[in-house]
Amino acid sequence: MLASLSIKLFIREIRSGYLTSMLLSLILAVTIVSGISLFTDRLEKVLSSETKEFLGGDLKFESNEQNIKKSLEKLDLKDSQSSEMAIFASVIFSDQEMQLSSVKAVDNSYPLIGELELQNSSGTFKTRKNPTPGTLWIDERLKNLLSLEYGDKVYLGDATFIFSATIIYEPDRGSTNFAFAPKTIINLEDLDKTNIIQPGSRVEYNYLFTGSNAEISLIRETLEKNKNQGDDIESLDEDSSSLGRTIERSENFFLLGGLIAVLLSACTIGISSQRFARRHVSYVAILKTLGMNILQIRGLYLLLFFYTTLLTLILGLSLGWILQSNFISLMDSYFPSELPAPSPYPLYITCLTVIICQFGFIYPHISKLLDISPMRVLKNDISFNQNITPVFFMGLLAFLLLLYLYTGSIDLSLIIFSGVILFSALGIGLVYIILGSSKLGLGAKDAFNLALSELRRRKLSNSFQIFAFTVAIGLSLITFSASQNLLGSWQDSIPEDSPNNFAININEEDKKGMKDFLSKEDIETNLFYPVANAQIIRANDQENIIDRNFNISWILSLPEQNEIVEGEWFQNDKLNGISISDDISERYNLKLNDNVIIQMEDGSIETYIQSIRAVNWESFSPNFFVIGHPALFEGKSSTHITSFFIPKAKQKVAADLMREFRTVSVFSVEELIKQVREIVDQVTKALNSILLLTCLSALFLAFAALQDGFDQRRHQAAILRTLGATSKFVKTSSLIEFSILGLLSGILGSVIAHTAVYFIESLVFETIPGFYIEIWIMGPIIGMCIVSGLCLYLVNGLMKQSPKDLLNLQT
Amino acid sequence: MSDLVILDDINFSLEEGKSLAITGPSGSGKSTLLGLLAGLDTATSGDIYLDGVNLNNLNEEERALLRKDKIGFVFQSFELLPSLTALENVMLPSELKSEDDPQDRGEYFLERVGLIDRKNHYPNQLSGGEQQRVAIARAFACSAKILFADEPTGNLDPKNGKLISDLLFEVNSESDNALVIVTHDQELAELCDKKIELKLGKIVD
Repeated sequence: MLASLSIKLFIREIRSGYLTSMLLSLILAVTIVSGISLFTDRLEKVLSSETKEFLGGDLKFESNEQNIKKSLEKLDLKDSQSSEMAIFASVIFSDQEMQLSSVKAVDNSYPLIGELELQNSSGTFKTRKNPTPGTLWIDERLKNLLSLEYGDKVYLGDATFIFSATIIYEPDRGSTNFAFAPKTIINLEDLDKTNIIQPGSRVEYNYLFTGSNAEISLIRETLEKNKNQGDDIESLDEDSSSLGRTIERSENFFLLGGLIAVLLSACTIGISSQRFARRHVSYVAILKTLGMNILQIRGLYLLLFFYTTLLTLILGLSLGWILQSNFISLMDSYFPSELPAPSPYPLYITCLTVIICQFGFIYPHISKLLDISPMRVLKNDISFNQNITPVFFMGLLAFLLLLYLYTGSIDLSLIIFSGVILFSALGIGLVYIILGSSKLGLGAKDAFNLALSELRRRKLSNSFQIFAFTVAIGLSLITFSASQNLLGSWQDSIPEDSPNNFAININEEDKKGMKDFLSKEDIETNLFYPVANAQIIRANDQENIIDRNFNISWILSLPEQNEIVEGEWFQNDKLNGISISDDISERYNLKLNDNVIIQMEDGSIETYIQSIRAVNWESFSPNFFVIGHPALFEGKSSTHITSFFIPKAKQKVAADLMREFRTVSVFSVEELIKQVREIVDQVTKALNSILLLTCLSALFLAFAALQDGFDQRRHQAAILRTLGATSKFVKTSSLIEFSILGLLSGILGSVIAHTAVYFIESLVFETIPGFYIEIWIMGPIIGMCIVSGLCLYLVNGLMKQSPKDLLNLQT
Repeated sequence: MSDLVILDDINFSLEEGKSLAITGPSGSGKSTLLGLLAGLDTATSGDIYLDGVNLNNLNEEERALLRKDKIGFVFQSFELLPSLTALENVMLPSELKSEDDPQDRGEYFLERVGLIDRKNHYPNQLSGGEQQRVAIARAFACSAKILFADEPTGNLDPKNGKLISDLLFEVNSESDNALVIVTHDQELAELCDKKIELKLGKIVD
């Protein structure tokens, strides 16, 4: 009986349209949550495998020495694999040409992950092996520079090799710091024959590991214990590539968008449930009069909401799947052809969201509804228990749970939660003060007075409406500015004409010639930065040598996208020292004002650390770990580095330049820029979809809040019209009233958005917070236009009905 | 499907200062007729003249202005605004007319219905009878030419019903208002100068 009654009730509710706003909000919330979580889940899986491949393993250890091998030998490893490689820069010769190359000597376990794609005279092929001893592989650029054919002899140090294949793709692209030079891969067994590695040679040993989480942790622990200063350990979660960071930030944005959309939907669901319960007061009273007990009525409504949940999940999850498919198809050129299947997590988070929304925002209203007295059938004025504390408490608890579900941090959830509560209390208090106390009468002598009087008279309900509008406007503005900020920071890092080629090893005497050469081709060069190789030694602890060489430059102006985090940049009126990057400071425990000796080939300089810089390594411009004041380095020998933009039509210029200036190496970042640009374009489309959906949720919320307010005004409008107020009078008054409400909400929404954007930029996106005038302009305008627009729509509908119908006069 | 005819062949007139009772069983079209007479709704055919003006020639805005100037209402379910006090409810018609002294007029009519000491009470703090008295005060505060009352005693017990009907006629007798009452109550109908009875949308008596 209960089941059939509940189905009838459910169908009736759907048909009547009264459940529409609640259903739409729930479906929208499920769509957004499932769409975003499915997308980010699959994206993370792809990224994790790509990062693993980029890194070359689960864990990478970088050192200038081979000492670590001994400590690892003691470990009893069962299911782990490791690979050793030595990486160094050396000049490589063909019979006709010579060229600086980045050489990678790899052992027989190489590659640990993925495959190499090579090309020889028979075509391209994939392999999971290293070069056989006596042969080498080089990349396309080096092949052209050395004018090589397959089978030609190549000379590296004292050894002779046969050029057997061209490298098209290598999995561990992130394995080397010498990546700027054309690449050569040889077998590790051949390394000794070359006699290149001598005591004091600059060589980097990389050890890559794959295996179970437990063994990788064990290896990591051992490495941490035994590592020397300057050694570096990298694992999957430390991907700092431009693409990794771009995707990670966009993931943060997707999750933020999802959270905001869910919170907006939750508010809408709360308001819609309140309306639903109000409409069902008589129904419950009649059921009670007819003898149904509380348990049966509770069961009836629980069944009703079970059907709602089921419908919501079916429709929402289907739409969510379509949403994530669209996101993925937007970015399919970046993804591998077969994307991994999603984990159960998206389904779990979606179901949990729906359950929290049901129990936090719907069930408390139903529970109140069940308390209604059967006397209501006799006395129309009997309504709900006016105590809203349980409803409020459950709503707040659900809000906190949702925050925790999406942020995963109890601290962050509590901060946001307290912020929202504090802001709401302040906002409602402010609205009370602004609206002032009401005067005698309705003030119905003109539309403006009536509007003001209504604002004052309905202070409490207006405050809640302002709260709902503020949440809608504020959260939409947050999503908007977060997306703009994200896009802005990406676009700033890759401007249209960003240099796509870097030239290094430029001698002082070649500088002018290079400039002339490039200007003949109409290519503009940027600053030529002096670069020298140097070691930093602590002045007060000369034994504690920092066992790593750095590229040092000396310039007067702070490079773009560098920010001083400690100390001061060079000034003319004081003794100037050096500026180091914050990661070097952290890695080698170098502090502000530490005295250091810069050991260079042609002498040493005693100086101090004057500043520490945050460097945006993602920017496509030369960046340095150490920068000194030019006065300190006067007369020191150096080469130079510069960057320039070569248009597509003139790609040949790079090879011509290297032929003309034999010592200069030119390397292109065109492909990387193109890849990042493509990703940014594709992510932008996905971001805009999220923004659109969030705005849609906000619109639902604003509409639900207005609709709720209009239920109360419907009766008043009918009486005013019966007593002779014209439709125009009622419309104008409502329009003025809601424009003021919208304006106030817009201003408050701007305050919320600006405060939140400040924290999001500094904490979530880790960028420098900015001031956004557009938030202050858009908030009030959007508030006024949207709220008054929706009001006009509702009030027009109201005016189409005759006062007789609104007052429900009987025939 | 044929059109539903709610009222058919209705013809009557009412002079200034006179009262008319419209009676009939539920669903006979009483309230529909009242709605048409008061300009709350429009008839599909026929003419209704109120103080010499044909209501069918007026649009909704013009009818609203006519209601403001010439019509007062008393409803079965009182239709007071719950967010306004008794005094504020009575002041409402004067406010809409932009009169200078809505408070004085409001207090005068509340005094007249014996509720001046409850002027600051909200409708939910008043009994049904008291609410209807406030509604009567509001209707008379309109300075209307004609007063429409829809089942004014329908929601009240006999004692309060008698009190309200007496009050309605008493206050009405002090003006030249015409009074139209829709009622089931034969006793109340008998107090009126004229009476028409509707059955299935037609005048039967």
